[in-house]
Amino acid sequence: MEKSIKTSIARTASAGWIGYARGFHLVAAWLLVFGGLAPDGVHSRAIGQSATDGLQGEVPSPLQTTQPEPAPEVLQAQKQRIEAMRVASQATVGVFGVDGQGGGSGVCITPDGYVLTNFHVSSPFGHRMRCGLNDGKMYEAVVAGIDPTGDLAVLKMYGREDFPVAKIGDSDRVRVGQWCFAAGNPFVLATNLQPTVTYGLISGVRRYQYPAGTILEYSDCIQTDAAINPGNSGGPLFNAQGELIGINGRCSFEKRGRVNVGVGYAISIRQAMNFFWHLRSGRVLDHATLGFTVATDAKGKVTVSNILESSDAYRRGLRYGDEILRLDDRQIGTTNQLKNVTGIFPPQWRVALRFRNETDTVDTAIRLQNLHLPSELEEIVKGESSEEPRAPPKSPQQEPEDTPNPESPDTEQPKPGEPPKGAPPGRGLRGKEGASRKEKDSLADRYETKRGFSNYYFNRVELDRIVALQKPRNQWPKSDEAWVLSGTVVGETTNVQTRVTDGVIGFTLGDKTESVDSKRGWTPWIQQQSLVSLAFALRTWQQWHQSGPRMMGEAIYIGRSPLVGRTGLFDTTRITLGEVDSVIYTSPETGTIECIELFTDNQSDPAEIYFEKVQRNGGREIPERVRLAFGLETRLVVDIARSEWEPGTVLDSGKEDAGKEKGGD
Amino acid sequence: MKFRVPIFLAVIIAEFLANAPMQSLARESFGPVDSGAERIDASEESDLEVLLGRAERSVVKLYGAGGARGLESYQSGVVVGDGSLILTSWSTVLDVDKVRVVTFDGRRLDAEIAGVDPQCELALLRVPNSGLLGFELDPQNIAKIGQRVFAITNLFGIAAGNEACSSQKGVVMAMSPLTTRKGAMKTLYQGRVVVVDVMTNNPGATGGALIDLSGRLVGIVGKELRDEQAGIWLNYALPMDVIKNSVDRILSGQANMAAANTQAVPQPHRLNDLGIALIPDVIPKTPAFIDWVREDSIAARSGLKSNDLILLVNDSRVDSRKGLERILSTINRGDSFAVLVQRGQELIKIQVRP
Repeated sequence: MEKSIKTSIARTASAGWIGYARGFHLVAAWLLVFGGLAPDGVHSRAIGQSATDGLQGEVPSPLQTTQPEPAPEVLQAQKQRIEAMRVASQATVGVFGVDGQGGGSGVCITPDGYVLTNFHVSSPFGHRMRCGLNDGKMYEAVVAGIDPTGDLAVLKMYGREDFPVAKIGDSDRVRVGQWCFAAGNPFVLATNLQPTVTYGLISGVRRYQYPAGTILEYSDCIQTDAAINPGNSGGPLFNAQGELIGINGRCSFEKRGRVNVGVGYAISIRQAMNFFWHLRSGRVLDHATLGFTVATDAKGKVTVSNILESSDAYRRGLRYGDEILRLDDRQIGTTNQLKNVTGIFPPQWRVALRFRNETDTVDTAIRLQNLHLPSELEEIVKGESSEEPRAPPKSPQQEPEDTPNPESPDTEQPKPGEPPKGAPPGRGLRGKEGASRKEKDSLADRYETKRGFSNYYFNRVELDRIVALQKPRNQWPKSDEAWVLSGTVVGETTNVQTRVTDGVIGFTLGDKTESVDSKRGWTPWIQQQSLVSLAFALRTWQQWHQSGPRMMGEAIYIGRSPLVGRTGLFDTTRITLGEVDSVIYTSPETGTIECIELFTDNQSDPAEIYFEKVQRNGGREIPERVRLAFGLETRLVVDIARSEWEPGTVLDSGKEDAGKEKGGD
Repeated sequence: MKFRVPIFLAVIIAEFLANAPMQSLARESFGPVDSGAERIDASEESDLEVLLGRAERSVVKLYGAGGARGLESYQSGVVVGDGSLILTSWSTVLDVDKVRVVTFDGRRLDAEIAGVDPQCELALLRVPNSGLLGFELDPQNIAKIGQRVFAITNLFGIAAGNEACSSQKGVVMAMSPLTTRKGAMKTLYQGRVVVVDVMTNNPGATGGALIDLSGRLVGIVGKELRDEQAGIWLNYALPMDVIKNSVDRILSGQANMAAANTQAVPQPHRLNDLGIALIPDVIPKTPAFIDWVREDSIAARSGLKSNDLILLVNDSRVDSRKGLERILSTINRGDSFAVLVQRGQELIKIQVRP
């Protein structure tokens, strides 16, 4: 009997190899369990011989039994699974060093080649790597942004404009008991550029995993028993339909060595997509903190135990002792749940909060703040990144037995003396890049260093994209004449006029007029929450259209962020204008400015100016309804009736018709 | 006398002195009963989601003594019967007055040990008014080779507070007795086990549930077991008929280890006469660790050594130093008795002959 068990194990293993060669189907999962770690069958024999004695029960030999034809629904389910894996495998990326050494995984999510992976996969390679797809080709790639806290990185592959992409799933709908599969490059098996697929069950959802080592924190992650091994890091976790639900990156190992023991964790795709455009900005990203801490009392109430008076939450009325009920529309019953929600959002995003104080239940939205100082992030990145190959994976004997924290599976490294794995140099490269790689890095012009950035090149790419979006509707006069907007306060007859020039900003409300220098002295007005802030935003609007973001001050593309009361995400650019930081939200489709926030510091509310109606006329965009708010409170809404340029200065030829125009109704 | 405290005990003492053996729970806490309510419409859930969603409500997280190298202070438990009993593995985690139970919805309950069965290394805890649904203990639910099973355990202590335990899928590979070749597999239980193909038997998983596709309990996940020679970890569970039998024996008192009912004898064994010094009795339940053994004493000749942890005497459970003294007080000085000790990771049976 024992013999027949061993025979069937051996058969399974060999079937695994065949399947792998054919196209890495489901059987590849068996490989890891039976054959992958012990091709000689040592492990399975050991269980058969010394753990058990005289196996009981009938094990029919596959050769002797006539199997009935499987039910049609079983065959159908198998067919669907094979198809889901086939499609999903196309977008699965093997990440290697430029010389083919090392290895991790990734997943392509845009046709032009943006790849999601782990920070701990990309960091050993520095900024340059090569990505293998299952079309059998290697593509040159460069790092864009990194998120050391959330363990994410975005790479950009070059060589195609039609890369296969993974379909983004909804990780909020992942439940225990659903089937899933991981694809990737465990143990750098994918040297033939065919990913290994491992099938499993969702074991847990909304898990919080404490920072391991430095600051790597997994919040709200998905736990699976699909085999996640060293080298799987950064690779995709798909649901049964082949939709991307997570980025694999961490395992619980403890005393059994650095191989899977049935517990792997994936960063939810929701978190990854929240950070995706931030990562495309080429920045070193930070994570968020709420500005307050909580304690859980004996009755299960989560209450504020400490709060920074400088935090947005404090300004929105949250106080010590208040009970936290919901964050981002999720019920909060434990500290872990609060950390889970906080961890999936970038700083500066606003998140809905419901809390209860002594008298009321309050619904508000709070702006998240940075978790680390820029200098702290720099230290971390310096510590983690290295062009040197890492030490080979520890053997099980060396593994500390009392490590309670799960660890990240390292990227696999070749053992000393082993030839580097991976495809032969130049394999699959497009002619020009392949030929020039030896002499000069073909992607040298796709990498720029700058403090606070992992690759500043990508920040310029995104800013250029925004400018290009607006260009067709941006024929503004390139001169310094005054731009005068006249209108009325909504629901009133009070007249409002703004008059902005390069020298002075004028703001008239009713019969009162204020004048402020166009370049400096805005801070007291904004901090006193003056209505003049509306005119500052219009000055910013004018400059943005007239000179472009770069001519105004230091312009940095931040990523995409939500706006209160609006659906979707908006491109976000921060421009430093003297002592004021303008954060400008533009539509990702049209480039139209949706909102301008004017920050004087992190201690007080910014002025928020929403452009609720915009008229497109004569190659220009002119605000039609503008709303000023501080905190979440609207202070002024103006309907603009007229937009004029005061004559006296030379207009661009052919643009005279735009000099005067009547607003809408 | 030199004062030597094994690291294992040092940690326990530290925890007791802090009056907080539950400090490892700091990151979890109560949750409202309805907090698991972020579920999508029942109509969208697959049968398996429903099945596991129900089953994981009957698996609890247990916290007790331990916390040092290789000895976790947490494990899993399965609610059985009418909900007032929790079945789990008998381990050093239970060496506390009250075992802390944390339910799927984050409630913390205190459990008392109703009884233990050393042969099967099972323990039954009592929790009045848990409000939990228990699994039925049906000896007919015998796992079959090739059968699809699911393990629900709190492996690695991943779940905390109102988080549900972890679910893993597997297939029954074999039904086989555990063979204890000395030094190869350190286990007291030597009967049949359900061997599964998934790595269930991780730290903290012991005492968890193995269920079938109908949601019936087919096994209790066993302790971590490693073949010292091959280095292979075995993934297994105790089968239902063994469990049912063990629970019946515990409940009927046949396996109950309480020595309280036994009369003290006029001339009992004394530790000093045996040649044993235990580590000082400093906490309410100081484990019965042998600090040193006098040369050429009864204990030394029988093979007891310093640092041995005495677990059983004549099949009676030794939960503390005081417990050991109480049991010894019931054994005549002239009679031999059997002890079970833990030496490092090894369990050793020793006959003490005066």
